[in-house]
Amino acid sequence: MQFVVEDTGSHLLITVGETRIDAAIATQFKDKLRAIVTKASKPVHLDLHNVDFMDSSGLGAVIAVRKALSERLPLVLQAVTPNVERVFRLTRMDSVFDIRSAIPEEVKRQ
Amino acid sequence: MNREERQNAGVDNRPSAQSLPMFHRILKATPETVRDALGAVRARFRDEVGGDTLGRLELVLAEVMNNIAEHAGDHVAPGQIVRPPLVHLWVVGHDGGLACALSDDGASLPAECLLPRDLPQIGSEDLPEGGFGWYLIQDLTQELCYYREGRRNFLAFRIPPGGFAG
Repeated sequence: MQFVVEDTGSHLLITVGETRIDAAIATQFKDKLRAIVTKASKPVHLDLHNVDFMDSSGLGAVIAVRKALSERLPLVLQAVTPNVERVFRLTRMDSVFDIRSAIPEEVKRQ
Repeated sequence: MNREERQNAGVDNRPSAQSLPMFHRILKATPETVRDALGAVRARFRDEVGGDTLGRLELVLAEVMNNIAEHAGDHVAPGQIVRPPLVHLWVVGHDGGLACALSDDGASLPAECLLPRDLPQIGSEDLPEGGFGWYLIQDLTQELCYYREGRRNFLAFRIPPGGFAG
């Protein structure tokens, strides 16, 4: 499980190194990220530009991370690829998260 | 109609000049083998269908096969599966999209999975972490049908081509 955690001053930037957040890794993903964000005292930005696939167990893991972070702190999902954005849109979870789409250059980096 | 023809009924039961060679894979369903099978589906259909259609196909197949891996196997305790179900997956592209069929030898599918369903309620207090899988399957497929024959489950559906859903 790969994460890069960086304190930018204004927020905690967590870049996910995995290309898939699926049933094979959802539990591990959830547990590791929860441990990081539970201690966070500033907004968290989750950079998902590497992630080109997410299923409902991955979605559940991201929701669990949102719930582990203090309610008063925003969780921003940034550089979200079209495939991942679809899961949030179809389940209407796009109304719960601040989702920022990947710009084409970020998708191409994959 | 022999057994094999019955299994394929609804997928390729009439000759079509427009259909392409069928994808068929057999797997013992675990999260890891499901991931591998999805990679094979993606590689096989990458040049045949657009990225949006491929994304919807992969999501639906992931939900269906993960559900089989998680719930249909023999287990000694929750999560401790001693015999993963043996799954056959067929996908064929044709004018109407991607016709998919799955068969497995696991426990039967509870009827409520196929009943029309809504999304789990989104309350600001307690967000749901699950219950999305069958909603997504129903939302992204057409002509979804299920039956059990002997000790096997059969599920078939169609992923419409781009512009219709998702």
